[in-house]
Amino acid sequence: MTIHNDRARPGDQNLGVLFNEGKVRRRREWRGVKDTLYDYGRWLYILSILARFIVKPRNIKAMFRYRWMANYLAVPHMVDKFTMGLRDEPLRIVHTAMDFVVYDVAQTMENIFRGDRRTGNDEKFSAKCVLTDENAMTAFMMGFPTLKAILREVPTMFVANLLNQYSTTHYLDVAQQAGIPGDVCPMPEAEAGISIEDDFAVLGACAVQVNTTCDGSLMGNGIIAKRLEREYGIPTFQLVAPMRHREADVQDYAAQDIKNAIAFIEEHTGAKWDWDAYFECAKRVNDITRNRLAWLEMNSTNYPQFVGAPFSLYNDTNYMGNCGRSPKFPPIDRKIMKYAQHGYEAKRMMAPEYRHRAIIWGVQPQYVIDMLNWMIHCWGIVPLTDMLSMVNTREIAEVDTPENREQAYYDMAWLNENMIMRNRTHGGYKVLVDELWQFCEQMNADMVIMWEHMSCKALDGMHGQFEEQAREKGIHLVWVCHDLCDPRVYTRQAIRDQLNTYMRTVMREEPLDPTIEVLPDEKAW
Amino acid sequence: MPKFVKIPLLAIATLAGLFVVTFTVYFLNLDMKLLSKIEPFFLKHYDKMPRKNYV
Amino acid sequence: MRDLKHLQYFEDLLQVANNPLIGQAQADGKICVTYPCENVPEPLLNLPGAFSVRLFAPNTGSTDIATYYMTNLLCETSRALLERAIEGGFNFADCVISPDGCTMMNRCVENMELLKTMGKDKPHFFWQYMEIPLKDDDNNLSLYKLQCKNHILDPLHEAYGLDISDAAIRQAVEEHNEVCRLIRQIGDFRKGEKPRITGYEFHVLDLATYVCPKYLIVDRLRETLEELKTREPDGKPWRARVVLVGSEADDSGLIKLIEEVGAFVCADRFCMGSLPGRDPIELNDSEDALTQVCRAYMHRCQCPRMMNMAKVYGRKQYVADIAKEYGADGVIYEQVKFCDPWAYERTLGSVMLRDDYGYPVLSVDRPYNISSSVGQMRTRVQAFVESIEIKKLQRGQKG
Repeated sequence: MTIHNDRARPGDQNLGVLFNEGKVRRRREWRGVKDTLYDYGRWLYILSILARFIVKPRNIKAMFRYRWMANYLAVPHMVDKFTMGLRDEPLRIVHTAMDFVVYDVAQTMENIFRGDRRTGNDEKFSAKCVLTDENAMTAFMMGFPTLKAILREVPTMFVANLLNQYSTTHYLDVAQQAGIPGDVCPMPEAEAGISIEDDFAVLGACAVQVNTTCDGSLMGNGIIAKRLEREYGIPTFQLVAPMRHREADVQDYAAQDIKNAIAFIEEHTGAKWDWDAYFECAKRVNDITRNRLAWLEMNSTNYPQFVGAPFSLYNDTNYMGNCGRSPKFPPIDRKIMKYAQHGYEAKRMMAPEYRHRAIIWGVQPQYVIDMLNWMIHCWGIVPLTDMLSMVNTREIAEVDTPENREQAYYDMAWLNENMIMRNRTHGGYKVLVDELWQFCEQMNADMVIMWEHMSCKALDGMHGQFEEQAREKGIHLVWVCHDLCDPRVYTRQAIRDQLNTYMRTVMREEPLDPTIEVLPDEKAW
Repeated sequence: MPKFVKIPLLAIATLAGLFVVTFTVYFLNLDMKLLSKIEPFFLKHYDKMPRKNYV
Repeated sequence: MRDLKHLQYFEDLLQVANNPLIGQAQADGKICVTYPCENVPEPLLNLPGAFSVRLFAPNTGSTDIATYYMTNLLCETSRALLERAIEGGFNFADCVISPDGCTMMNRCVENMELLKTMGKDKPHFFWQYMEIPLKDDDNNLSLYKLQCKNHILDPLHEAYGLDISDAAIRQAVEEHNEVCRLIRQIGDFRKGEKPRITGYEFHVLDLATYVCPKYLIVDRLRETLEELKTREPDGKPWRARVVLVGSEADDSGLIKLIEEVGAFVCADRFCMGSLPGRDPIELNDSEDALTQVCRAYMHRCQCPRMMNMAKVYGRKQYVADIAKEYGADGVIYEQVKFCDPWAYERTLGSVMLRDDYGYPVLSVDRPYNISSSVGQMRTRVQAFVESIEIKKLQRGQKG
């Protein structure tokens, strides 16, 4: 059922005017006076974050030391990608979420370079830092308010690829020259490459690695840990997230390893676990869960508000990276919720019409994650949710009692097991395949955009099952292949063309905005 | 012109000028166009750095 | 050297997954317990009334159907097994017990289940997936025991009425140990300058112990051991001695190819090999057998998914130790194409064996069925052997 937008979008109608074959856009979008001025104001805010960051000498030093820092020249460009075509509340929601993600990443980098032996070298600060994987829930840090969890791989690898599609290619080459084959997932491969080339910041009293997301992450950790331990003297702990995470008979095991991880951190930092701090974080975690469920409920209606890559990235940052530890997130959540509620009541839409409602399943490619926004404007396909946002739905114990203190280990283990993406790619076919169809029904989706990350063996291994079951259920399953953070294998246009071809040949539709059906962004950031 | 008129007028003019300049930079995407020209210099610098590759 | 009396017999058994001994054992009233991975403790699958068969897919040709289900980027072993299952090649199984070890093997078995490839007309047939240790510590031992109980022992008892008592486990361990001791003693003939058994011959015997009911081949293994004690070794020396390390090598053709080039495979540290897969498990009377079996498997496990750093470093130390014990000149790290765990393990392993232990290393990936890539592998091994010879010459010149 097509939903028509009874309000005309002010400003640029055909978004193709923004693009030429350059690295950056021809100009920024004209959104009508009100929204253009709003966007301009947010641009100034982003620049202020960057300016505050770059004036510090240690950060300038980092800029010249670490190759991946060059990608941060593109921060405003990234924000423009996610706000393309948006007006009113959806524009404000995306800015609220993504501008805060930018702020949070800047803070992370501040901390990294403050403690980094090669730049800030603040040893006292470094002794209070615990390195954690980017693909890991930081629940085990919830009771350490005096310590800093340093997700050093996030700005180095993940965010860098949101900014610049070519950010990881050098590191992939380094890893492959060292002997790692090219068919493995490029995310841990790039991380291994960064470690091999000594392009990670070096800081911290210790490091906690987790076997999430997958075999690749698990194995890449070994290469990274070897360098940390043998060259830099930073001890590492490998925390287990069981594979069969829905089974009752692994929960004791998982909880015990959380206890072991906490003991490891206490031993190496001298900090003591703080139950008051933990339960305060637990309350925030529950708040995050409730908000996310509310947004999902809204997205199940005809007027979804908080959708696409910003929804996913904000969840990544809040649910996983933050995991209740920062008090700065709840006000952002509330602001987003306010905009979402206004937008929903006003029946705001992001495109002239919504023709299809899609669940985005599979692993998202970082270098073209803005494709979800593009889909709305080009084809009227609204992304209701994505696999990475379908995480924990259960509230954890948040009141400090002796029973809850014991339960807390199970809760932290549960969060660890329900790390984004991991909670679906592992744990059996039920969580990956069967539950997809349940979400389609719950959210009234008629389409699944299946991101087929070609190096994701967990997902690829169910290719045939997805195909056959979608056919049985009459759901349009659109295969969109990519290689996560390596655009040399599938370019952005090659990725978009998979959807274009399906929409033209199978759905027999014409694009809402034909000027963006083919975008000349192969050379772009 | 009295000072209590001149100073605010000057401030408004300055702000207006700043707005025009920054808005021009913003709308014509001049910030990103400039930074995209700077990126290759950084990449050349990184390529020249000695590296200690270690598996 | 004179042909081993039973070699042809064992070679013939390995031509098909459903070898005749399986049918014979089932006719004896035994339950066939199949499994795809070394991390399932084998003795528990060989309780009185049962026998284990590790799934493999000899003489695999096309894997087109499996590739449709799993795409061509999953490891060839997993696709070969699925293809064989779809073809009906594993219909002999009475149950499948699979660890959720590596992702690809897990997806392979899940597809087997969803496509209903096995268990037809077998009302007691079951599929079980178990969690297995990722580290070597007390917590992981507790997990292993619980998983073995919940996903091996209890289902076998409930479905097939098997005795899963401590005594039954001890009996199974003793029978398992007998085979292990025979294989290890046979394997010892690979040591020394003039080995009395080739790596290929040994691999055939060893592989048979994984894919055939052990009680039906143990007599021939004993005879083979006796035969080897008096076998005259070849006078011709090998050009090099190598340890073969890596992922599943259930294709003896791989070993044959390496040895045809002049590199004697003196030790087999790969999945389905004898090191440590055929280490006997010595039980004491002070602790229950299940705990001891689980601990033995956990301690000795060389699977790259074991992720605590002691294990990461330990695996390389283990290779170095066996290289020394078996007098190896070099190490070959191999992986089946698209195997993620071994992709990383052979990278780290090659570097460490070379830099920390001073061994020349060849690092290769290969297809599941080596016959599709003979030329490439031969060239790589040949070059490696020549480099070892040159190093030996140079060492000789330096005195």
